[in-house]
Amino acid sequence: MTVKEFFKSNAFKSLAVLIAIVLVAGVLLAICNDIFFVSDEERFARSIAKIYGAEVETQEIELTDAQKTYNNGQVEEAYLVLDDGNYLLHTTGYGGYSGGSGTVTLWVVIGCDASEDGSPQLTGIEKVVYDSNDGQTLMSNFNTKYYEYFTSQNEAIASGGYFTAIKGSSDPLNNIVAGASQTSNAMVNAVNTALACFRTVISGGQS
Amino acid sequence: MNAKKYGKIAYDGLVTNNATFKLVLGTCSTLAMSTSAVNSFGMGLSVTVVLLLSNVIISLLRKIIPNTVRIPAFVVIIATMVTLLRMVLDKYIPDLYDSMGVFLPLIVVNCVILGRAEAFASKRPVIDSAIDGVATGLGLTFALTFIGIIREFLGSGSFFGIQVTDFRIGFFTNAAGAFFVYGICIALFVFVANKAEQARRVKKMRVLRKPAAIGPLPPVTESSEREDG
Repeated sequence: MTVKEFFKSNAFKSLAVLIAIVLVAGVLLAICNDIFFVSDEERFARSIAKIYGAEVETQEIELTDAQKTYNNGQVEEAYLVLDDGNYLLHTTGYGGYSGGSGTVTLWVVIGCDASEDGSPQLTGIEKVVYDSNDGQTLMSNFNTKYYEYFTSQNEAIASGGYFTAIKGSSDPLNNIVAGASQTSNAMVNAVNTALACFRTVISGGQS
Repeated sequence: MNAKKYGKIAYDGLVTNNATFKLVLGTCSTLAMSTSAVNSFGMGLSVTVVLLLSNVIISLLRKIIPNTVRIPAFVVIIATMVTLLRMVLDKYIPDLYDSMGVFLPLIVVNCVILGRAEAFASKRPVIDSAIDGVATGLGLTFALTFIGIIREFLGSGSFFGIQVTDFRIGFFTNAAGAFFVYGICIALFVFVANKAEQARRVKKMRVLRKPAAIGPLPPVTESSEREDG
């Protein structure tokens, strides 16, 4: 086959059309990516609006890498909410679906009262709001009832307790999560990570 | 003539070839997303938008795309449309974007879309393809929302997120419950569609059997004989 024949062949035409489609699609997506880009600030403002329903003033708490890392999760960011004195932690829980490597990232609002010495005293979980996940196909199974579970155990949490993962199909919570027990495991780990960070770092060693 | 043709395309997409209840396509996302009516409706509308856009583009390019590379070309076009949809949802409807999770990018491999591109849009003009895309998408949206309403009501006691009753059966929010409701809905849809088709045929047969109202033939006259001759 000569060069001239190649350029006239069906193979060349197919290749050229395919490359043209890919190029046009690529350019279109690049332009749209710029138009529909969502910045980190916008995402944070959205999360705040989802949690509080209004704009609130926050102050970021500086944490070292060691203070951010826990056995079953990681703290992404931590903020003090100046309006109500509560703490807002952005945490990722490990142990989700996908061979135990999937994660769920949540926003956890930790309710506080000021103690006599001025250090924050944990009163419970005020709110848990979903942020994102990695590989959790059944994330849409979690309705408000499951999130409310985290705010309904404040007495035990205030006295130093942690949440436990679903143990089996007989666990009443299993019905609420519609069988997505591994994903719920990652969510429990995310909330527990927030509690651990608050107790060991933010409140300065509270049990 | 055109209205009748477009009507038939739309009816095919909505009822005769209903992607969920008749062709049983896109089952994975149907089962996973139908835990609530809102999620189902959102998923259905997303697929409708992708179907419409991809059908129109594929139909426009049908004479340019060589037959040998049509499938990869279709996949690139569909993937582009899905990525665009993801960007738009993330920007303007983040709640729906979050709730759809991994099933939003998985629309790329939804066999309904590739199926309509291959079977219809690659062979028919743009307007026909657009109508087919919208009708197939709305048929899928109806099916998904119907399943979602049943599962949400029985499994969570709510209707489009509004709590109606405290009575709930956890089974319906599980995968097994999804299969159960899906099966019942298919049976119900096929039964109703068959009954409607049967009634339509009976009506047609009655029209055909009705004797034609033709009067007696006119007598042969001299002038008519001359005309014949």
